[in-house]
Amino acid sequence: MDLELSDEQVWLSESVTTLLERAWPPPEAVATAKDEQRRRVWDRLVEFGALTIGAEDGLGAAELCLIARALGTRLVSVPFLGSAAVRMAVAPFLERMSDEVNDALAGGVGVSLAQLEPGSSSWFDAPATEARRTGEGLELHGEKVAVEHVEAADWLAVVASLDGQPTLAVLPTSATGVIRETRRSFDETIPLASLRFDGAQLSQRDALAPALGDRALERLGTIGALLAAAEAVGAAGAVLELAVRYAAERKQFGRAIGTFQALRHLLADMYVRHSSGWSTVLYAAASLDDDADDAARNASVAKAYVSRSAREIAHGALQAFGGIAFTAEHPAHRFLRRIVVRERQFGDAAHHERILGAQLATRAGAVPRALAEASLP
Amino acid sequence: MRLSLTPAEQQLQEEVRTFLDSQPHLGRRLPHALEDRIEALREWQRRCHESGFVGRAWPQEFGGAGRPPVEQIIVDQELAAAGAPEFVNVVGLDVLGPSLLRFGRDDQRRRYIPTILSAEEIWCQGFSEPEAGSDLAALRTRAVPREDGFVISGQKTWVSWGQFARWCGVLARTADPSPYRPRHRDISMLIVDMRSPGIEVRPMTQITGHAEFCELFLDDVVVPRENLLGEPGEGWKIAMYTLGHERGTAALPRQVKLRTWLDRLIRAACARELDGGALIDDPRAQTALAQALVAVEVLRHHAYRSVGEFLGGGAVGPESSTVKLLMAEAEQRLAGTALELLGASLQEATPEDAGENEFWEETYLYSRAASVYGGTRQIQRNIIADRVLRLPEG
Repeated sequence: MDLELSDEQVWLSESVTTLLERAWPPPEAVATAKDEQRRRVWDRLVEFGALTIGAEDGLGAAELCLIARALGTRLVSVPFLGSAAVRMAVAPFLERMSDEVNDALAGGVGVSLAQLEPGSSSWFDAPATEARRTGEGLELHGEKVAVEHVEAADWLAVVASLDGQPTLAVLPTSATGVIRETRRSFDETIPLASLRFDGAQLSQRDALAPALGDRALERLGTIGALLAAAEAVGAAGAVLELAVRYAAERKQFGRAIGTFQALRHLLADMYVRHSSGWSTVLYAAASLDDDADDAARNASVAKAYVSRSAREIAHGALQAFGGIAFTAEHPAHRFLRRIVVRERQFGDAAHHERILGAQLATRAGAVPRALAEASLP
Repeated sequence: MRLSLTPAEQQLQEEVRTFLDSQPHLGRRLPHALEDRIEALREWQRRCHESGFVGRAWPQEFGGAGRPPVEQIIVDQELAAAGAPEFVNVVGLDVLGPSLLRFGRDDQRRRYIPTILSAEEIWCQGFSEPEAGSDLAALRTRAVPREDGFVISGQKTWVSWGQFARWCGVLARTADPSPYRPRHRDISMLIVDMRSPGIEVRPMTQITGHAEFCELFLDDVVVPRENLLGEPGEGWKIAMYTLGHERGTAALPRQVKLRTWLDRLIRAACARELDGGALIDDPRAQTALAQALVAVEVLRHHAYRSVGEFLGGGAVGPESSTVKLLMAEAEQRLAGTALELLGASLQEATPEDAGENEFWEETYLYSRAASVYGGTRQIQRNIIADRVLRLPEG
């Protein structure tokens, strides 16, 4: 048992932060970032090795979470979440997939994840989108919403049903029969689209067979929840830091508002939520890297907690800033928006609490060994 | 980061389990009468110490096992998972022992540490006073210096296990207040023999019905000079170090204990009915249990990370306030969930359920103290605002 970040992990985290500071505008200017800036920072991240996943010496979940947190801190807008989560999800099954997919994922292509459907909840595994068998291949039919960064991603990973079972289908964004429509995004720094699949073709090999597809989706759900949570923790930490700085400078009643206990306690509570939120993400990531039996459960704990606490931190920050936070040019709402968007992916708090609760109810027989009846709390 | 255990750590885990399997104290009701219970608990700690499970990371020359601190984490988790009672000398182990190791002289460590570990001598702490609660530096107990030591007079309160303690770590003023010096610089830490003339202990009954804490009256109690811990005027520094330990490291066994309570609550929810169905099948009950689980797990994950940093050479600093807040939150969330879930069934209990109901009612009442003892929730927030966020002071 070793509970500290390794030197390499600390180095990775610092390097990514430096890279982003150089290549990405500050929070108050993120909305002005051009596609070209997005491409440039993405290229640098890929060059740095942010997508070296799955190989023997590749990045693990803990490292990916460190990167996601750094992206959230700077409100960076790149197709990292989908690209990293999909690579992690299919890593054990790559030899069953086509050379094209293998080449693409081994290289640095961006992957957009097409999961949610009109009216679906934030995580679901009964897609209406279907991969139908034709003579030699598969055809995709259906509709997906809330797909991020389609412009910047050359590949798509689509949650679809194959032979009545959910699986993950991978195909190029440019495939015939993929019709995209730009959609309004709550976080306007993240380009959003809906996709219609009208018989887009892919190789049989690139939609994992049902049993494998199930496992790939489980992995996708676990790593996706962690990356979304890590990014939200990053955004929450950054807006907390801005709020703390503001409280030390802003004067009312002739003194800095950070001297008033009501606000000090609010900020202290925000700090506790942020610090513990990161702890739980990191722990769950480490358990995933350890291949622990409870990795998925730990990810549910982390996503449930951070989904509530990151937004609580953003709310606290808006309160601390007061009126100024409600002006469009102030960056506070950008952090809030990013946090809300990540809350809606890979299961929100209610979703994960439902899962955890059902698990508790079914494993109720398996309790620790003898319990002392008398207790001295 | 690596969560899995090394072969050596696994072996230790096995060792603890084997030991636990051979212990008659486990799974049995402890004696109800307080005196008998304390005796049983002393015996329990003594056996654990003999097997090397108490003070695992404390220096060997003072009776510890001299092993890496991570081993104590493993041991504590095994003990708690098995439902083992908490060590009766908790104040000595978690609060004053670490301070003796850090600030004590060698002769003091040799004298006190071994008997703390074996529970031969129980310790208590004399910090709070009727007029000095959250504002601890306002304490009035005086220790008047004289040639061979000090003469202490004053009143202390919330002295846990004071009626069974042989030694008390007392904070007292050893100098007159001066406008040129902050008031906490006049405070010293003294090791007081509870058998000294002039000591009077009055147990107080808590809302749970137990009498675990006491009032302590000191009337011209003579304390030899050698019983001063650290230097005169260092009491405040020592107390802050002490409280950091109490708040921080105590979280590891605590979270395991909370986990065993959660499992117990789940079993109770399986056994009881709600409007004709099993309580556990109610979706709202499941969500409430899940939320309690999340609180306990987050405490565990955060305690691991802070302790990881602590083991890596960091100090138990203001960060321990975060752990303390999470600890109170998890305990209160869990106990509150029990109260709400079991709800009406606590009221109309059958005689068979009486023991279980009593446990949850007591656990609930006790949980309300979790955000008061060891520094209130508000004081922890103040510490974070001052020393972590470095907000300007008022």
